Amino acid sequence: MQIKKRVAVVGAGMTKFMRRAQETGKELAFEAVRQALDSCNMRIEDIQSVALGSAPDAFDGVHMKGEYLLDGAGAWGKPYSRSFVGGGTGVFSLIHGWWHVASGLFDTCLVVAEEKMSSCLPHPQTAFLTIFDNMIERPLGPNLIWIFALEMQRYMQTYKIPKEQIAQVAVKNKRNALDHPSAQIAQKVTLQDVLNSEVMAYPVQRLDISPVSDGACAIVLASEDVARKITDSPVWIDGVGWNLDTTYWTNRDLYFPRYVANAARMAYAMAGVRNPRKEIDFAEPYDPFDYKELHHMEGLLLCRKGEAPKLTAEGVTERDGNLPVCPSGGLLGVGNPIAAAGLMKICELFWQLRGEAGKRQIPGDPRTAVAQAWGDLMQIGTVVVMRG
Amino acid sequence: MTTEPIRVEGDFPVYFRYTVGVAGEKFFREIMENGRLMASRCSSCNLNYLPPRIYCERCMSRLEEYVPVENEGTVEAFTITHQDAEGNPLQEPVGVALVRFPGAYGGLVHRTIDVLAIGDRVRAVFKDKKERTGSILDIKFFEKIS
Repeated sequence: MQIKKRVAVVGAGMTKFMRRAQETGKELAFEAVRQALDSCNMRIEDIQSVALGSAPDAFDGVHMKGEYLLDGAGAWGKPYSRSFVGGGTGVFSLIHGWWHVASGLFDTCLVVAEEKMSSCLPHPQTAFLTIFDNMIERPLGPNLIWIFALEMQRYMQTYKIPKEQIAQVAVKNKRNALDHPSAQIAQKVTLQDVLNSEVMAYPVQRLDISPVSDGACAIVLASEDVARKITDSPVWIDGVGWNLDTTYWTNRDLYFPRYVANAARMAYAMAGVRNPRKEIDFAEPYDPFDYKELHHMEGLLLCRKGEAPKLTAEGVTERDGNLPVCPSGGLLGVGNPIAAAGLMKICELFWQLRGEAGKRQIPGDPRTAVAQAWGDLMQIGTVVVMRG
Repeated sequence: MTTEPIRVEGDFPVYFRYTVGVAGEKFFREIMENGRLMASRCSSCNLNYLPPRIYCERCMSRLEEYVPVENEGTVEAFTITHQDAEGNPLQEPVGVALVRFPGAYGGLVHRTIDVLAIGDRVRAVFKDKKERTGSILDIKFFEKIS
């Protein structure tokens, strides 16, 4: 593709992530949009198009959620569309907005991601029961935790990973989130707390998993020429990538997310990143489960296959380590309102690369970072490379 | 041997609980406690949103000023329904009107007890205060003002 305009992130905003918000989904979207516009002193009339990301309609319990959220997302009377690639939506929504500007069609674009999962009863996971094959799988009564337990077990077995090294991710992210003002389940937990938490489907335990959340995030994008008039410190979107593996999860390599690797290669090639291990200063991979952060670090080619648990155990992925991972606190600590959780990772890249992450700030003036989300039928990787 | 296709029954086993939101709390509590309609006001766009919102969709300002709206409005559109969603005949036909109110941006779709014409003036009839629950059905129906 020929990229007509380099695209910058110039503003960001997010609501608190909450277990049960009183605000409607529209109101959550508004709060994020208002904050994002205020962060760059822009008015809604300065915005030329709006790109919305939101995951299944069955979470909010509103069919055609994109259309429902339109006014809260600031899209009244504007070119507007919604993208949805399951859990990958948050990062993909940025790619969706990037496309609007990189194509030369618009100078500015507002990207909004919202999820209100508390509406869905008895549990949002129930909305996923119909993703399984009706003939082959559903009669067995499967749920998502089954699949993740199978994948996690396969990953652990392939590389001889002790559960302690995986649990360390939950400890780190929940602690990192203590410094995030929007965090839902920031807490100091010990390795023993994670290992002693209730077993849901072995080896997945309660504290290995991110929570159910309500929340919204918003990002303001601008083309290079316009961005420089808005801010002295734009953050550039230099690479985007996404890729889907087979729909049949039975046909995938459970121990390695090759779709993430494909998406990462696409994004790195666009960004001119030749050696991600050396050139990426920090990463925000998708961490709905602790083992997924490790899986995704390997998919993002930030280390060798099977090496991520060891790096974590050695402290390399701590905020003051060589390769900070999920300095925000991730989904395990900040929370997981699906689409908004992915865009939260973009917000974190923006704030870190501008040196505006406050108590979460990574030392050493980070310049290049990668964010990633994962979703659809556990088969998509969505990747964005940004530079300060 | 049967030639019937093999089938599997399925369902989508979720249900929902919705909050009415920040603006919805103002709107429904005003109906419950005072039998009155309430709009939120954007002074820069000179719009009174009914039902209220916490933001103006035009300028995305935060709206914090609430203004009462008259319970009397004008019929913008009207129909009488004779069948339910499955096509069964209704015992009593039900009148439905879109009602707009003076000075308000938006309006309400609600039931009517009279046969109406576009342009008719109508008034909201509320349930008794002790029967109101914070629902749009706290308004029983709209009746024609003769």
